[in-house]
Amino acid sequence: MRRTWIAAVGTATALMLALAGCGNASAPSAGNAANGTSGGGTSSGSKTLVFGRGGDSVKLDPADVTDGESFRVTQQIYETLVDYKPGTFDIQPRLATDWSASSDGLKWTFHLRKGVKFQDGTDFNADAVVFNFDRWMDKSNPYHKGDFEYFASMFGGFKGDPGLVLQDVKKVDEYTVEFDLKHPFAPFLADMAMPCFAIASPKDIQDHQGDIARNPVGTGPFEFVSWKQNDKIVLKKNPNYWQSGLPHLDQVVFQVIQDNKSRLNALQSGELDIIDGVNPVDVQTIKSDPNLQLFLRPSNNVGYLAFNTQKKPFNDVRVRQAINMAIDKKAIVDAYFNGLATPAVTPLPPTMWGNDTSIQDYPVDIAKAKQLLAEAGYPNGFQTELWAMPVARPYMPDPQKIAAAIQDDLKKIGIQAKIVTYDWATYLKKTANGEHTMCLLGWSGDNGDPDDFLYVLLDSDNAKPPAQNVAFYVNPQVHQLLTQAQKETDQQKRAQLYKQAEQIIFKDAPWVPLDHSTPPLAASKKVTGFVPSATGSDELLNVDIQG
Amino acid sequence: MNANQPAAAATPVEPGAWTPPRRSIWLEAWKRLRKQRAAMVGGGIVVLFIVIGLLAPLLAPYDPTDQDLAHHLQWISAQHWLGTDEAGRDELSRLLFGARISLTIGFFSVIASLVVGALLGLVAGFFGGWADVLISRVFDVMLAFPSILLAIAIVAILGPGLFNALLAVAIINVPTYGRLIRSRVLSVKQEEYILACRALGMSTSRLLFRHVLPNSWAPLIVQATLGIGTAILDAAALGFLGLGAQPPSPEWGKMLSDAKDYITNAPWIVAAPGIAIALSVLGFNLFGDGLRDALDPKMK
Repeated sequence: MRRTWIAAVGTATALMLALAGCGNASAPSAGNAANGTSGGGTSSGSKTLVFGRGGDSVKLDPADVTDGESFRVTQQIYETLVDYKPGTFDIQPRLATDWSASSDGLKWTFHLRKGVKFQDGTDFNADAVVFNFDRWMDKSNPYHKGDFEYFASMFGGFKGDPGLVLQDVKKVDEYTVEFDLKHPFAPFLADMAMPCFAIASPKDIQDHQGDIARNPVGTGPFEFVSWKQNDKIVLKKNPNYWQSGLPHLDQVVFQVIQDNKSRLNALQSGELDIIDGVNPVDVQTIKSDPNLQLFLRPSNNVGYLAFNTQKKPFNDVRVRQAINMAIDKKAIVDAYFNGLATPAVTPLPPTMWGNDTSIQDYPVDIAKAKQLLAEAGYPNGFQTELWAMPVARPYMPDPQKIAAAIQDDLKKIGIQAKIVTYDWATYLKKTANGEHTMCLLGWSGDNGDPDDFLYVLLDSDNAKPPAQNVAFYVNPQVHQLLTQAQKETDQQKRAQLYKQAEQIIFKDAPWVPLDHSTPPLAASKKVTGFVPSATGSDELLNVDIQG
Repeated sequence: MNANQPAAAATPVEPGAWTPPRRSIWLEAWKRLRKQRAAMVGGGIVVLFIVIGLLAPLLAPYDPTDQDLAHHLQWISAQHWLGTDEAGRDELSRLLFGARISLTIGFFSVIASLVVGALLGLVAGFFGGWADVLISRVFDVMLAFPSILLAIAIVAILGPGLFNALLAVAIINVPTYGRLIRSRVLSVKQEEYILACRALGMSTSRLLFRHVLPNSWAPLIVQATLGIGTAILDAAALGFLGLGAQPPSPEWGKMLSDAKDYITNAPWIVAAPGIAIALSVLGFNLFGDGLRDALDPKMK
């Protein structure tokens, strides 16, 4: 009798502990796996950096993805013609040594760096640049395998589309390339620095019939080794890298640990060296840990709730405005960002030029919201779905909990929302296809230009599946302003155009802009040379591990 | 376990005419059960949780899904006896309503697996032959998987949700009951009274449901009581993994997984659902253990 009693208590406690430990259980095993490949890590003399993150990459072809988790890795393998100084959006030379634009702004000439080789040993030259651009811009190119959403959204379509601004890419000589534009295009140079326009090895593209999602070969400091889906991506040092003495690391492992807390635990126990996606609530813990350092990524993003404006009932602006009045952003930001975010009013981050800071946000007003819903024909609300990302994003550290908060706010005006989640790649795909009614998503700016937010996320050019404009927001007036701003080269005038566009967007309310965050990252004190990138794709070129 | 058979054997001949012995068996079991302190404590816990579950709307001071983000992660106070969770919801109210969800899943999933398992086990044990081979092998295949893994697979197919979690928990437990009753049926059908019934020309269905089944289910009662505890735990595990109850439902496993990010900042919101799960499972286990001893004649 006594024995069974003890057994029962023991079983119950053990089960409870097992259950409570569930979330953490994945961390040590994942970490061990990472250490296993690193061959003892730093102790054996080879320097391995393990980067912990919340989600896996979608593809390792930077031209054919839109998500930060893919760029985070391709940034290390590939290089662009120009790039940003770490932590800023200032342009600096990379694969191009210098460049010039014709006085009418229609011709851009880039002089390429000599002596650079791809990781497969082939030469980097003008042919390679032309080959890559042809692959992206020409739908009939045999190697145009994919959606190439970024190319279309930055340059206004593909070859043959009326909106395409990039007319031709020509080889002038072995190390000179010329870009011909249809009209002056202000964001051009900033765009060229984006990780999606990185130059891949033509031989690699040919060898794999255009599909290099899992066979990336670039000129960057690290080479691709292996990819275990939803677990880790391993890169090793490119021994023939053109910048002598770099990189410092011998190996980089991108380890997926979905749960924020488990990821932090793995960092604290030394299994990871850097982590992104820190719960804001844990910032204090990191600051007080003598073995850890805290990094703050420059705030350059927006987290938002997008309505599918093509679907009922969200095609009615009154419904969208009502929801804007129901959601208490400030409460959400205060509760889930621990001071590391500001409530968003407009799509553009408040510090970016072109943002209209005079716009006053919709007040939180349940009575008014109910009235608007009633006018729209939904006096008792309606049932709908609220899609939420499965992974922590820099602009939203805990999408599921923020979704629950929004769900509760919506309940107050009679809208019953069911929270729906898919895995990250599926989520992106389904939202791009417009299968959602309402979805949470966000954007980390990648070139410091308002165009990169407003045109990419809210222009009608990008409202066709697969869309970056997941609100499927179409307003000809906004389109007119945004495309005009692209052609204008005077920044003052451009800023005015963007402000006008923002005012219209604000009234049309295709989104509920939620927050602009300052995402925290944490690293072991041993890591040096790390500068968090404003784009979210951190350069690991200069990173080293001490001791 | 065999002691109840002679008594039960007396009844089938004249059903309803001579019932006292059957009643006395349960009465005797109850007397034995009462003497076991652990079982009574377990029973007390079970009753307590049932009362809480039934009266949750009356007992809970707040709506369990009402958020108040401005007052989140609050320590225990007069307004919030167990503090508030990460969304400012009253932890106590959520726990009380959570009892309702967990017990519902526990009872109904066990009843479902009991009914299906008993029927399949009865058929397999009584008819034997290819039916037995088929059913038993299916049970073997199901038991070859770790149960929670099978549950996850089932939910992955059906889609996450409370009802689907209930179904998954019910399905994975079918073989447990099925096997148990099959083995009992195998021995019961050899009994002389069954032979007597057959000799009297009783129809198979009457034989099965009036004689074979009633004489085989004593161990099932014990298993079902223990099974409720397991089912609660399985459902909590599914909830923890985000496959069971969906937000904002105050399901204990889901509460635990939501709270675990705050274990360093607000440990009480992790502890509360954890303790609730442990206590309810403990209650059912203790009671089930006691019941087994009470129904086992060797313990006399």
